[in-house]
Amino acid sequence: MNIDFGSELETFRAEVCAFLDTAPTPAIREAGRKLTSVFAQFDQVMEWHRILYHQGWSAPHWPKEHGGTGWSVEQKYIFAEEYRKRDLPPLLPQGVGMVGPLLIDIGTEEQKAKYLPGILKGEDFWAQGYSEPNSGSDLASLQCRAVADGDDYIINGSKIWTTYAHHANRMFMLVRTDSSGKKQQGITFLLLDRMDYPGMTVRPIIGLDGFPEQCEVFFEDVRVPQSGRVGAENDGWSVAKHLLKHERGGGAQSPTLKRGLERIREAAQTTPSGFGTMLAEDPVFQRDIGELEADIASFEHFEKLAVSGHPVAADPAYPSINKTMNSELTQRVTVMLTQAVGNEALPLQLEALRVGANVEPLGSDLDLIAMPWYLNSRATTIYAGSNEVQRDLIARTVGREG
Amino acid sequence: MDFTFSDEQQMLRDSVSAFLLKNYDFDRRNAIVRSDAGWSREVWQQFAKLGLLALPFAEDRGGLGGSMADLVAIAEPFGAHLLAEHYTASAMLGGAALALAGDGSPAAGWLDKVITGEAIAALAYEEGPGTPDPSLIQAVVERQGSGFSLSGEKRMVLGGGDADVLVVVARLEGALALFAVEPAVQGITIRPYATIDGRRAANIAFDTVAIPAEALILADAGDALRGVLDRAILALCAESVGAMGALLRQTAEYAATRKQFGVPIATFQAVAHRLADMKIAYTKARATLLYTTALIDTGRATPKDIAILKGQTGKLGRALGEAAIQTHGGVGMTDELSVSHLHKRILANDALLGNAEYHLRKVGVLA
Ligand SMILES: Cc1cc2nc3c(=O)[nH]c(=O)nc-3n(C[C@H](O)[C@H](O)[C@H](O)COP(=O)(O)OP(=O)(O)OC[C@H]3O[C@@H](n4cnc5c(N)ncnc54)[C@H](O)[C@@H]3O)c2cc1C
Repeated sequence: MNIDFGSELETFRAEVCAFLDTAPTPAIREAGRKLTSVFAQFDQVMEWHRILYHQGWSAPHWPKEHGGTGWSVEQKYIFAEEYRKRDLPPLLPQGVGMVGPLLIDIGTEEQKAKYLPGILKGEDFWAQGYSEPNSGSDLASLQCRAVADGDDYIINGSKIWTTYAHHANRMFMLVRTDSSGKKQQGITFLLLDRMDYPGMTVRPIIGLDGFPEQCEVFFEDVRVPQSGRVGAENDGWSVAKHLLKHERGGGAQSPTLKRGLERIREAAQTTPSGFGTMLAEDPVFQRDIGELEADIASFEHFEKLAVSGHPVAADPAYPSINKTMNSELTQRVTVMLTQAVGNEALPLQLEALRVGANVEPLGSDLDLIAMPWYLNSRATTIYAGSNEVQRDLIARTVGREG
Repeated sequence: MDFTFSDEQQMLRDSVSAFLLKNYDFDRRNAIVRSDAGWSREVWQQFAKLGLLALPFAEDRGGLGGSMADLVAIAEPFGAHLLAEHYTASAMLGGAALALAGDGSPAAGWLDKVITGEAIAALAYEEGPGTPDPSLIQAVVERQGSGFSLSGEKRMVLGGGDADVLVVVARLEGALALFAVEPAVQGITIRPYATIDGRRAANIAFDTVAIPAEALILADAGDALRGVLDRAILALCAESVGAMGALLRQTAEYAATRKQFGVPIATFQAVAHRLADMKIAYTKARATLLYTTALIDTGRATPKDIAILKGQTGKLGRALGEAAIQTHGGVGMTDELSVSHLHKRILANDALLGNAEYHLRKVGVLA
């Protein structure tokens, strides 16, 4: 066992810090400070993506030959840590985190050449078109149909909860190409070059926090080329399962949670407990935040073991344990933050939350973000496989720890 | 012992529910919330006609002398329908504070108008990030000439931007005092806003505001204020319990009809047990609501009883609301169903006048 990062990494850390301290524009920093979701405000996060690309750092976990950094796991961890400390907006995951790695793994050479540069550079934004109104947890029951016609497919049906489809210029999606067999058979994975094909319409859905983040996407005889297919026709389920590894895979989420803890402590400095002190000095509050901090610490330990290559990451339940822990800790952080800012969480401040807003927030940055962040984070136990479904998966592995 | 509503209370409750069902469905409610004013004077006038605005006030003040049980009977449907109008703010907080004034005072005049629906009242009480206990009040009033001078800042004043009269809680020679202040007076700055649960509120700054002697409603008002706050807490909790009931109904219905993997999701044990927990939470919260109502109506509610009610409603309401969203999956995350709105109403009521964290601790402190 060895717990240290190694002294050569301190130079690396200094380099990362120097860049992160100077490269982001004020608007990018503002988007980070006003982050109330895993999905940062679009224009600023894409601008930041392009800045990171110029530095060569937009996809640290990609293989070097495709534009990755070639960093060690420790270096990636340091990068994530310094990144979150500065409240910088995380890059949108659909491109560099999902469809990019998928194409690197199993795309054709043509697809890689065509799509990877746009993902890496932050020129393209990809929406993920999986879920449908009647197919959420039971994704394999999806009904959006694609019928082969010459070199094309003709798509009919709809997708829902498609995050940022209203900002996207491309989309990866699952369609049904055969209904005769088991539901998992007959699904095909498609890449769409455009979001404005004739017959395609996008309707943003206003979320409980007041922001349009997810969308509904309708397809009426939409003709797309078959060259956008990944894998074989009717083999899209195994393609999607492959992508899932990237979607649910671990990384360095604990720095985000730790930053959340810091912010709760900050808010607690100025909120009276009602028992003679500020919350920060209140023993009950201290006990509660202590418990949360300890749980986050265990999660960090788990993450660090996993990135170091410890067998914990080889457990078949690893992705589900990771997802369950991270989502539930995120929710606890946001609950405590709303409690720590008290009534200041109650005003609806949609305009003040916008980057470049020309209204003053009523209170502090924390007052501003606490409630929308809490509300938005209710989704973390629903998306990417609900936590009920994750617990089913974990349960199946119990007793097989090896 | 009897903790059921009387026939009269049930009739009142049914008539309010019928009115809301007819005139205040979710779409209509949302249209009101999104309007410039954010609440409906038409609905308010209907409330006046139905006698609701007079209900909480004593008969010798022109009210109907309603009990807290009467008010709980209507506040639950208010919560279930996500009422945006200032019932709690104007009748239970502002109005109740005006009613502490002596006959013939300006405050008594305002109360007449609050009862007829001609005026909205608000209680400017909470400060900073929240005022779970009146001892935290810092706004001060000093004697100046024959009148007073008021300074301080009030935040999260429900109805504060819409009020025709503000009842301000401030320290006068150390003790808490209540003043009826008109919002247009020089030195008062009002910053109104919408709240996350579709109400209107305001932050209000008072910069050495000159107020006349007759504006004083009550000096040394600590005990009286406590009574007003306790009854307002009961009304807020009744609203939240009403919202909890609506969430339970809607979630049970959704889980029974939403199919995944070929079966209703309610048939998955994880979902079924969560629905069971929601029902347990609702049953518990409502039992405490009804019991505490009876305690207040018989003058037997202790500070601990109030803390139990507010703490339990906040804690159980949050758990139930979060479970409702989780059970709805993606649609629970939208603005389009009432689910998230009901949850936000419960959260807002929890935060007001001290949240569950505070009140549960208080239960323990009041050994
Ligand atoms: C913020 C957000 C962003 C999203 N982004 C995208 C996106 O970009 N692209 C995309 O394709 N999709 C996206 N989704 C959709 C997401 O993947 C689905 O919401 C998710 O799969 C759940 O499906 P559902 O919403 O239909 O809920 P349902 O599947 O109907 O589930 C409802 C409830 O039933 C429970 N349940 C279902 N089946 C079982 C079971 N077998 N056992 C126990 N409990 C069960 C669930 O856990 C949940 O509590 C997003 C969702 C959210 C909330």
